[in-house]
Amino acid sequence: MNCLIFGYGYMGRIRYQVLRAHPEVKKIWISDPSLDPASRAELGETVLPIDTPVPWEQVDAVFVCTPNNVTADLCVEGLRQCGRVFCEKPPGRNWEDFSRIAEAAAEVPDHTLVFGFNHRLHPSVQAAKALMGQGGLGEILFIKGTYGKSGGLSYQKSWRNNPEVSGGGILLDQGIHMLDLLCLFLGGLSVADAVLADSFWECGVEDNAFVLLRSETGIPAFLHSSATLWKHTFRLEIGCRNGYLVASGLLSKTGSYGREQLVIGKRQFEDEAMALGNPREEIIHFDRDDSWEKEVGEFIAAAKEGRPAQHGTLDEARRVMQIIRDVYALKDHSIRRA
Amino acid sequence: MRSFQTQDSFSLSSVKPLDGLLPYRDHCLEATRRALQGRKRVRTACPVCGERLAPAGNVGELPYVRCPQDGSLFLAELPDREAWSRLLAEVRQFRNSSASFHAQITQSRADHVYGPKLEWIQDTLRLQELAHPTLLEVGSSSDDFSRLLRESGLFLQIQSIGESEIGQGTEQAQVAVLLESLDRTDDPAGLLKRVSDRLAPGGLLFVTALLSSGFDFSVLGTRNLYLYPPDRANCFSRDGLSKLLEQSGFILQEVSTPGVLDLQVVRAHAQRDAALPLSVFEKTLVSSDLETQRAFQEFLQQRGLSSFARLVAKKGDGTA
Repeated sequence: MNCLIFGYGYMGRIRYQVLRAHPEVKKIWISDPSLDPASRAELGETVLPIDTPVPWEQVDAVFVCTPNNVTADLCVEGLRQCGRVFCEKPPGRNWEDFSRIAEAAAEVPDHTLVFGFNHRLHPSVQAAKALMGQGGLGEILFIKGTYGKSGGLSYQKSWRNNPEVSGGGILLDQGIHMLDLLCLFLGGLSVADAVLADSFWECGVEDNAFVLLRSETGIPAFLHSSATLWKHTFRLEIGCRNGYLVASGLLSKTGSYGREQLVIGKRQFEDEAMALGNPREEIIHFDRDDSWEKEVGEFIAAAKEGRPAQHGTLDEARRVMQIIRDVYALKDHSIRRA
Repeated sequence: MRSFQTQDSFSLSSVKPLDGLLPYRDHCLEATRRALQGRKRVRTACPVCGERLAPAGNVGELPYVRCPQDGSLFLAELPDREAWSRLLAEVRQFRNSSASFHAQITQSRADHVYGPKLEWIQDTLRLQELAHPTLLEVGSSSDDFSRLLRESGLFLQIQSIGESEIGQGTEQAQVAVLLESLDRTDDPAGLLKRVSDRLAPGGLLFVTALLSSGFDFSVLGTRNLYLYPPDRANCFSRDGLSKLLEQSGFILQEVSTPGVLDLQVVRAHAQRDAALPLSVFEKTLVSSDLETQRAFQEFLQQRGLSSFARLVAKKGDGTA
C-alpha cells in the first residue's frame, strides 16, 4: 500500500514512524509546504516538492495530519481521489467541516474513513472496558473525565489556539479524546450544561471547559478539559454498580501524564472484609502503549479488505462533534474572560 | 505488559505463621533427607541460563546453590525422578491433613490467599476476553483452592493433574494454572514444555511463585525459614522466572509482585532470633510505624521487588 501523509508536524511524524514499520506499506510520501529545509533534506524523496501535484494514481491511502482549517478540504479530496482516508482528530474545525467530510464519504462507495481517536486503544481504557458489565463491575452509574495540560510558552502562538485556524479551544483539541471515551462507555450523549472559560491564556478560545452530559438512558457524565492544569492530568473515573475503575496517567513519549494505570475497586459494604468506604483496590500498571500501531493497523486492514473500520468511525466522530457543536452553541456559552 | 499492585492487608499469622510453619517445615526437610538417601542428581547448571551454580548455603543441612547471573536459588541435590514424585505426593498429603498448620487457618487462607488468586484469574480472563475456557490445574498444592476453582463456575471443564503426570495426557486446554508448581518441580523447563504441549495456541498460563529477588529473601538469604525443600526446591528471581517462561515460548502478559508480607516475614525472623544479622536500615525499617511499613511494601509491589510473584503468559505460536 502506498500512503500519502498531509502535514509533517507532531502527528504526521508519529504516523510516518508507524507506517514505516507496517509490513503492508510499500511507499510513503509526505506533503507539507511549511516543512523546514533541514527536515526536507533529511526525508529526501519522501517529501513531495512544493507545487508538485500529488501523484494520485499511485496513492492508495491518505493520512490528514494538518491544522484544522484544511482538514475537511483534504479529507474530501482524499476520499474522492482514493477512497481511503485516515484523519487526525478533530474532524474539522466545526460541525460544518465535519458535515462536508461526511457528505463526501457518502458519495464514495466502499470507502474507508477513520478518525484518530487512539485513546480508546490505550491499555488502561481497554482494560476498563473489559472489566465492566455483566459478571464484572456491572452497569455504569456515572463517569467523570479530566484531561488537561499546562499549555506552555508556545501555547498562545500555536495554530491550535487561533480560532480562525482551529475552530475552538482545548475542548476541541484535547477534550475531544475524553468525549470519545465517554461515548465509548456510554454511547450517544447529550449536553445538559457547560461552562467555558478563557481564564489564563487569553487566546479567544476556551482554555477550560466543564461539560455536563447525559446518556440516552440517563447516566450522567462530566468532563473537565483544561489548558491550565499545571500538572498534566489524564483521569477517567467510572462508577459501576459493583465497584469502580479509575484510569489515570498515559503512556506517552514524554511521560508527563504519569505512569498509566487502572485502579480496580470492588464494592464492599460494612458486612464484608473491609471498612465501609475503603474497599480493597488493585492497581494495574501498564508499560506498553500500542494504540498508534493498533489504530493504523486497523485502518490498513479495513482498507485492504474493503470494509468499514472497527473504531474511529464516521459515526463515532459524529457523536463527539455533535457534543462540541452543542456546547459551543449553548445560549450562555460565551467564554468568561480572565 | 502489565503489573498489578494490591491493597490487600493481612497478617503473616493469618496465612503462614512462622511458629505454625516450623513443624511443617521440619516434616518437609526430614522427608527430603529421606528421599535423598537413594540415588541423587546434582544440579550444577542454572536451568534458565546454564551458568555454573555457586554454593549459597545450607537449609536444614541441605545445600542450596545460586545462579551467579540472576540470583535464583536451587536445592543442590535431588533424588531420582520417582523418589521426587513420591516426596511431593507425601508432602501434599501432609499439607492437606489436620496435622499441618494449614488446617487451623483454613478460612483465613481462603480469604487472603485463595480468594484473591481466584479473583486474579477471573479478572485476567475478562481482560483477555476469554469466557468459560477449559482449565488444566497442574500440581495443585491445596485441596481448598482446587475446590474454589471448581465452584467458581469460571471454567467449562477442569482437569487437575500432578506435575509428573502431565506428560501422559494429550487433551488441550485453553488455560493452565501452575500455582507454585515451578517452585517444587525437579525440572522447571521440562514442566513448562509439557504444560505448553497441553495448552492450545494462544492459551493462557497462570504462575505464582516465591522470588529470591524479593525483599525478604534478599535480606534473609538461606536463613529465610520459608525456604525449604521440596516446596521451595527452586526459588527463582523475577528475571530468572520471566526468562524461563520466555525461553519456553511463552509471551509475558503480566509480571507482578503483589506480595504483602515481605516486611512482616523479616520482622518475624528478627523477633525469633535476636542475633539475626540485619543492617541498621533493615532494623529501622522492620521496627518502623505501620504507615512507613505500608508505604515500603507498596513500593516493593510497584517496582517488582516483593517476594510473591504472579505471572500471566500466553502460549506463542512457535512454542516448542
